[in-house]
Amino acid sequence: MQLKQQTRRQLFETCGIGVGKLALASMLLGEFGKNAGAAPISAGGLHHPAKASRVIYLFMAGAPSQLELFDYKPKLIELEGQPIPPEVIAGQRYAFIQPDAAVLAPRFKFAKHGQSGAELSEMLPHLAEVADDLAFIKSVHTDQFNHSPAQIFVNTGSPIPGRPSMGSWLSYGIGSQADDLPGFVVLKSGGNLSGGASMWGAGFLPGQHQGVPFRASGDPILHIANPAGIDQATQRDTLDLVAKLNRRRLEKLKVDDIRTRIESYEMAYRMQSRAPELMDFSGESQSTLNMYGVKANDGGSFAKNCLLARRLAERGVRFIQLYHSGWDHHSNVEGGVRGQCKQTDQACAALVKDLRQRGMLDDTLVVWGGEFGRTPMVEASGALGRKLGRDHHPQAFTMWMAGGGVRSGQTIGKTDELGFHPSEDPVHVHDIQATILHQLGIDHERLTFTHAGRPFRLTDVFGHVIENLV
Amino acid sequence: MSRSQSLLIFFARRVPAVITFWGIFCFAACPQCLGDEKVNFGREVRPILAKHCFTCHGPDPEARQADLRLDTQAGATADLGGYQAIKPGDIDDSEVFTRITSDDPDTRMPPADAHVPLNQHEIDILSAWIAAGGNYETHWSFVPPKPITVPDVNASGWCRTAIDRFTIKRMEQAGLSPSEPAAKANLIRRLYLDLAGITPTPEEVDRFINDEDPLAYRNLVDRLLASPDYAERFARSWLDLARYSDTNGYEKDRPRTVWPFRDWVIAAIAADMPFDQFSIEQLAGDMLPAATTDQRIATGFHRNTMLNEEGGIDPLEYRFYAMVDRVATTGTVWLGLTTGCAQCHTHKYDPITHTDYYSLLALMNNADEPELTADPPEVREQRREIEKQIRRLENQLATTVLNSKDPQHELIRADYAIWYQQQIETASDWRVLRPEEMKSTMPRLSLTKSGSILASGDVTKRDVYTLRMPPTAEPLTALRLEALPHPSLPAGGPGMAFYEGRRGDFFLSEFNVRVGIQDVALARPSASYGKISVGSGSADAANVLDGSGSTGWSTSDRQGTANRLVVNFAQPFQSNQPWTIELLFERHFAAALGHFRIAVTSQPGGAVAAVSAAALESRLYDVRAGKGELDRASQNQLRRQYVQTSELLKEHRKPIDKLRRSLPEPVRTLVFRERSKDDLRTTHRHHRGEYLQPTEAVPPAVPAMFEPLDPNKPKDRLALAQWLVSDKNPLVGRVAANRAWREFFGTGIVRTAGDFGTQSELPSHPQLIDYLAAELTRGGWSMKRLHRKIVLSATYRQAVGAAAANDPGNRLISSFPHRRLDAERIRDSLLSATGLMTRKIGGPSVYPPQPASVSQMAYGSPKWNASSGADRYRKSLYTFSRRTAPFAAYISFDGPTGEVCVARRDRSTTPLQALTLLNDAMYMEIAQGLAASAVRDVGPNGTAEQIAARIFRRLLVRAPDPEELRAIVDFYQRHSKGKQAWTLVARALINTDEAITTP
Repeated sequence: MQLKQQTRRQLFETCGIGVGKLALASMLLGEFGKNAGAAPISAGGLHHPAKASRVIYLFMAGAPSQLELFDYKPKLIELEGQPIPPEVIAGQRYAFIQPDAAVLAPRFKFAKHGQSGAELSEMLPHLAEVADDLAFIKSVHTDQFNHSPAQIFVNTGSPIPGRPSMGSWLSYGIGSQADDLPGFVVLKSGGNLSGGASMWGAGFLPGQHQGVPFRASGDPILHIANPAGIDQATQRDTLDLVAKLNRRRLEKLKVDDIRTRIESYEMAYRMQSRAPELMDFSGESQSTLNMYGVKANDGGSFAKNCLLARRLAERGVRFIQLYHSGWDHHSNVEGGVRGQCKQTDQACAALVKDLRQRGMLDDTLVVWGGEFGRTPMVEASGALGRKLGRDHHPQAFTMWMAGGGVRSGQTIGKTDELGFHPSEDPVHVHDIQATILHQLGIDHERLTFTHAGRPFRLTDVFGHVIENLV
Repeated sequence: MSRSQSLLIFFARRVPAVITFWGIFCFAACPQCLGDEKVNFGREVRPILAKHCFTCHGPDPEARQADLRLDTQAGATADLGGYQAIKPGDIDDSEVFTRITSDDPDTRMPPADAHVPLNQHEIDILSAWIAAGGNYETHWSFVPPKPITVPDVNASGWCRTAIDRFTIKRMEQAGLSPSEPAAKANLIRRLYLDLAGITPTPEEVDRFINDEDPLAYRNLVDRLLASPDYAERFARSWLDLARYSDTNGYEKDRPRTVWPFRDWVIAAIAADMPFDQFSIEQLAGDMLPAATTDQRIATGFHRNTMLNEEGGIDPLEYRFYAMVDRVATTGTVWLGLTTGCAQCHTHKYDPITHTDYYSLLALMNNADEPELTADPPEVREQRREIEKQIRRLENQLATTVLNSKDPQHELIRADYAIWYQQQIETASDWRVLRPEEMKSTMPRLSLTKSGSILASGDVTKRDVYTLRMPPTAEPLTALRLEALPHPSLPAGGPGMAFYEGRRGDFFLSEFNVRVGIQDVALARPSASYGKISVGSGSADAANVLDGSGSTGWSTSDRQGTANRLVVNFAQPFQSNQPWTIELLFERHFAAALGHFRIAVTSQPGGAVAAVSAAALESRLYDVRAGKGELDRASQNQLRRQYVQTSELLKEHRKPIDKLRRSLPEPVRTLVFRERSKDDLRTTHRHHRGEYLQPTEAVPPAVPAMFEPLDPNKPKDRLALAQWLVSDKNPLVGRVAANRAWREFFGTGIVRTAGDFGTQSELPSHPQLIDYLAAELTRGGWSMKRLHRKIVLSATYRQAVGAAAANDPGNRLISSFPHRRLDAERIRDSLLSATGLMTRKIGGPSVYPPQPASVSQMAYGSPKWNASSGADRYRKSLYTFSRRTAPFAAYISFDGPTGEVCVARRDRSTTPLQALTLLNDAMYMEIAQGLAASAVRDVGPNGTAEQIAARIFRRLLVRAPDPEELRAIVDFYQRHSKGKQAWTLVARALINTDEAITTP
């Protein structure tokens, strides 16, 4: 270790402590960017004191209808069946509908909840119980109106696949707190995910910063289990032989890479040892399982992933990204939202409650949201056999955050009476990204990586921290 | 505040800086103090200016502050109203110096907010540079290479080739000396891995080690350069740049066929196609005179861009993104410049303007993007053969059931008689009507000789065709629209759909006839066939008259065949003025008709759509009209049609159906096809690089900083391709040579491969890179020759070792760099070490085993049916590459996703790599294979030591030393009771550092 520490110290002494240097340090150390120096730096924040030390991002893929869940618009009841005024819709491109589509009234009843009086749909009875722990942002807008680019945009700041994802930026910037688990974990439930692997890719950042997907079937982490017929003692003995041969090579060649490789095998072994305990829910009380709605033999539900997210958070994982797909309600938005809420409402609320009970909510930022919203206008199509649906709507949608130092019990932003455009405090996707980084002690303008001749960052050249949220 | 005042404050506040000031003063006062230490503009000054100043005082006029530019000498020395930013030779009167040393946050540069201040070293350099005259020099890579003299060196005895003189010179300057040569066993393993991507067999190793011919090494090099493995190994590197993948990317990420392009690359490298030709064919092979099929296949290079098949996209927006990617990739591969910045604004560091960027795009912006049938001759022959058999069987069946007197077929014969009569009675006398004028919202419509209309070019989600028809001579009763196939259309047409829907689909929403603005009433629509793709709606002909855009007629699943839609006039229609037919195509994906024909009839009572194709229908009509009998050929055609469609013959048809299913799918590969000169796209500059914000039109041109294109030739994609590999482009030789260097040493002479701009790292060996570039161009652009020169050098033949203390990055190569092999070579070297590897070149991609959960992460959870047999052990180059769920064993080792052009792969070390090599069933299988081969090699009487040594040698090539052997055998003994002890040994060795790093 002596050699490595010297390298680090040398780096910091000659270059000062900066992001590029940290990244370089983590590259030297390998192992998901985990290193001894990262933790103290992150505790103090990379650029300013951090309020959160980890993120659980509940990504609702497919784009939930804000009009059925959070953004109640009685005006739509009044106008149902009439087209939206052309001046409102002017120039907007839609995925499926034509601009003269008629207004569709909200499908559910809404009521106010908690001291904050947050107005929520009857489809969210559990979330209503923690309404005061949440901060709603009703004026989020994005640049993209198709799923794949919009999902990639939220996750990487660019609609085109190939840029580093938010989790990999964090891993690169502030490293990991876990030495036996990856720092950036991806969990998936529900249907098809449009954005694909580039949503957790490392882009041009060093490869060790990419998100590690946990698999719903087979090994949770790819190849975490030994091959058939190889027990843990044999594995250990094998690793000892490998280490012995590698150490001889290290002594001979004195190349530091070899030491990194030796350590990567030790960390792999620790991960192997840790994984069964991580995935074993038998230590969870029945009341906890009930609170999330995790059933016996759960094959990878959103509820199970929420509970797993908490367990990962406890074990020091920095960025836990949940994807739940199935919100793309082009037809029968009423039935669709009802079904998705049944799968997600209870577990979302349980996660917030559970984190609070365990004293983890303060430094765990929970983010909920999709890639865009849905139109106030109805979608119907003869060819596609669709009716009473809603199309993609990038102009306005709702997200919420909890914990991690955000000011809860408030609603930021408003939309116009049709729910079409933000009418107050518009918040762009880049602002959401800037705010998440801010809570982790990172200035989004200063977390950069030079690639192809220029510095890149998560928020491109945009983004402002949502000041009244933090 | 005056500058002298601020200087005074500067002194007052920052006392320690006085020392530095005196240092500078010394430079200013006595230039001789500089001695040999003249500041190098390109190496020392420009990087500081670029990093700290150019963002606001650089080439971008929109971002420029205070009307000051510091990237040119003229700008820096301009009169700013009594003073200058830089006054040559006079730091005192140079505002730049004042500002960078000011302590006043209001005047200090760069501004305190979000900018890192200059450090003392940087200030010293700028000051010394100004003091010495403040001369600007063009960035080294933008200046054409000058002839390079091979340097004289002290250690000439060490040098084997000219390359070595350059490297030893730099080592000598740094007080370093080269490492000893690598051991022969390591050297042969290195050569095999580097030139062929595989591991040599122990026999090949023995032969080489025992070969005392002084030319043994050279002979081995030449043998490997001539092997097909060489082409496959270097094709993989090129495919990284080409962002090759077997799927479209984005949401649905459906499979695509572009492997003929991959095979073209392999063949071109095997033939050592000169790099200039190699480049021109890929960029513009379709535009070469009498372009061959191969040259067209080569244009697949820029068809490797992604395609978003998500329903509801704007197809033109994604074409724009693809163009942006093409410009960026072209910049990286042939210019070594990151043009991407200039998509949104004038480059902040490099002299590429916003307009330059779109002018470059304009050169490439006139291609259509069709498919090209690239069936190998044997496949074409196979298809012809099967089709012949099908025809024979159909005729046979027709004869058996229709011509016989066999009573068991009587019912069928009766049915046929009725059907035959129907065909006659429903036949109409159609005459083709040619439009006088054709308009379209997007596709370009042209009239063919046969009176059909062929669409080409771009297509949108809502296209309208308006056809002006001539006045009628007699009253018309019905109109027929024939949807026709055409080889230029996706999947052969008849539609233009190329994403989301079935390729070659169309969707006719509405069919209208008008005179002036008056609608003409239409009735009784019918169609020969109808089916829609995507969605559950009907494809009834009636949909085209229902006034709803969301319903319509389509002939999905019948790609490459003709079908017919007939509409009747509610009243016989006559017009003495031109009238119009309007076709509306409106779906959530682009689905206009690509090839069609309009015909009319005046026959009383109107018409219905015939099952038979137009030509046959016309014969049938002649029969109906009493103009003779049906000719024999038509009769046969009709009988075959009956045989093909009759419900009664379903059972009889089964063998024919089976045969039809065995028809090989045509191999259609993605290519470019330049548009005609009268159909060119207008390219615009786009504000902030956004698709929706086009501004003024820009002319096609190469960036203004370079020598322009030949003014006497068309400014098009071919001109660009030729320019890129001409001596007008100062970068191309250097960029290509640098890539070659990187292939062998892991790091380029310019470390930032793909970026030679002002922000790039300076070359470690400035002379050498120009020497190699000159060698490459002088050697007729032979890459093989360049590779040969590199591996013959003493520099290449050094032993692996650590970097020197004063050269921590080992940039001077005083030992051979230790580095991990790339993902594919790890698998290929292991596969070949076992003897399992299949040696077959080219063809569709294959599926080595990986856990099912990998592709389950992708949209639609596509199945990964692992190949069995020989395909399981093909080289990694042939592994099916799915962009949204890349092959796990490669992506863990920094393999590319195919989403962007990769000039430089990362080489990370992670625990996931360890887990992969330890536990992946694919590597377990390789370990088993390796153990089995070694046991077999050694024979039944082999000792544990012999088997262990054999596994070791098969894998690592060299022989184990006694201590290593003892450790391995001890390990074996501990596990020898189990069934797979040798597999465990092989698995352990696969997991050593040595197995996956440079020997």
